[in-house]
Amino acid sequence: MSFRLALIDYKLLDPLSSPWVGLDHFQTIFTGYSLFWTAVTNTGLYALFINLGTLPLAMTFAYCLSNVVRGRNLYQWALFLPVVVSMAAISLLFRFMMDPSGILNHILKLLGLPPSKWLAGILSALPSIALVALWKGLGGNIVILAAGFLGIPVELYDAAKVDGANAWQTFWHITIPLLGPTLKLVVILITIGSLQAYTSAIVLTNGGPGRRTFMISQFIIEEAFSNFRFGLASAAAFVLFFIIFVVTLVQIRMMRTEWEY
Amino acid sequence: MGILKSKLKQGLVHAVLMIGMAAALFPFLWMALGSVKTYKEMLLPRFFPTIWTLDNYREILTRVGFLTAFKNSALVAIPATAMVLFTSAAAGYVFAKYHFWGKEVLFTILLSTMMVPFTVVVIPLFITMNDLGLVNKLTGILITSLCSTFGIFLMRQAIMVVPNDYVEAARIDGASEFWIFSRVVIPLVRPSLATLAVFTFLGNWDSYMWPSIMLRTASRQTLPVVIAGMRNLYVVRYQIWAAGSMLTVVPVMILFTLAQKQFVRGMTLSGLKG
Repeated sequence: MSFRLALIDYKLLDPLSSPWVGLDHFQTIFTGYSLFWTAVTNTGLYALFINLGTLPLAMTFAYCLSNVVRGRNLYQWALFLPVVVSMAAISLLFRFMMDPSGILNHILKLLGLPPSKWLAGILSALPSIALVALWKGLGGNIVILAAGFLGIPVELYDAAKVDGANAWQTFWHITIPLLGPTLKLVVILITIGSLQAYTSAIVLTNGGPGRRTFMISQFIIEEAFSNFRFGLASAAAFVLFFIIFVVTLVQIRMMRTEWEY
Repeated sequence: MGILKSKLKQGLVHAVLMIGMAAALFPFLWMALGSVKTYKEMLLPRFFPTIWTLDNYREILTRVGFLTAFKNSALVAIPATAMVLFTSAAAGYVFAKYHFWGKEVLFTILLSTMMVPFTVVVIPLFITMNDLGLVNKLTGILITSLCSTFGIFLMRQAIMVVPNDYVEAARIDGASEFWIFSRVVIPLVRPSLATLAVFTFLGNWDSYMWPSIMLRTASRQTLPVVIAGMRNLYVVRYQIWAAGSMLTVVPVMILFTLAQKQFVRGMTLSGLKG
């Protein structure tokens, strides 16, 4: 139904008179509408930022969480807390923390770093909303990875120790390959999640400044429900679906050849 | 030497986790403190306010229609959770224990719909709701959240582990299918149901995109929509934002603290689905 909608010029008030326009909508978003490409680029960069930021952090915390002897529940509770609360409330919270004279800049100053414009800066806006999403999603990724770490048999580490492997070799040749499937899953989950990002971008920046945080989802929703161009929006939605589909397939392929033993 | 090394390692592990804990908790602490501050003190780099005030909460509760929004959210999230538990368990039971033509194909199709992002279905869904006259009604939100593919999958996995002998034995004793379902199967998969319940409740409670499209009248909006609307209603009055966020977040935090195990289990299971 979504695909059919993309091919017609849907009139909400009088659906039966909607003319068939074929692939025109696809042509429009691909060639005549630079805003769509802005949205695609922003969304892609955003997904990349979150992946690059989350993986090392989540790996570190997951390793610690799976190795800690006492207090695991407390740590898990704290790390997981951001995951369960509403994104709309979190976005408001970060919006006032990221005020140019807000607490985050005070903290930067305390650490001897220059202040950032955060959400108001042309270059810093996208990384800032990525940071919020990273903070919110980290706990879930930690929990999934920690389960992966706990699934690695201890005997393998013992064997490596007997063979005289150092910590780095152990990490690179035992942990990473055996964690491979879990890691792959985390990357896919983060990517699919961030390609659909909507709430944080709407509440934190509403696409600004200067469309620097304008996401594909916002493009779709605005075209459909503010401009009432349902056909165009459906075409964009279909492209988003296709992108997610391809990204998932590519990631499954790529990581399989790399890590399957 | 081994003992010393493992002690050192534990110390390091604790240090890293404490940094993580601080980073996760600090924004909530700042929000809690901000909600009892006056506007003048919101942006100062001081921890505790000099003047403590509850005015922000008063403002939220009396002027924003917060209680109505809270009620609306509950009216969606609670029935939706109850229904999802029933539909998921029933469909999961059928997929796990019955044999019928085309079952595998049907299940595969069902699973593949999990990959379709909500933004892709939102337009046809809206048009359908418009045709049914359910736009700007809470029923329109509720009716779209009565089934969950993830729930069906989760319950199927759980019910598959229930030994067939139990089901067969009850059947030989002359129990009806519904009796087997409700008295034999359900009690055995209670942990999975609990996990599904907290996940579904939370998903509905926190949901923003769909309610924000569907609900235009202020008195019918759910909590996240009202909260997000505050950024325009109270431009840069951060202390009011903090109070509103507090009231949204604290009930969920309490729920999470009580049901941490179910949440974490659900997270690792939702990982397995991929």
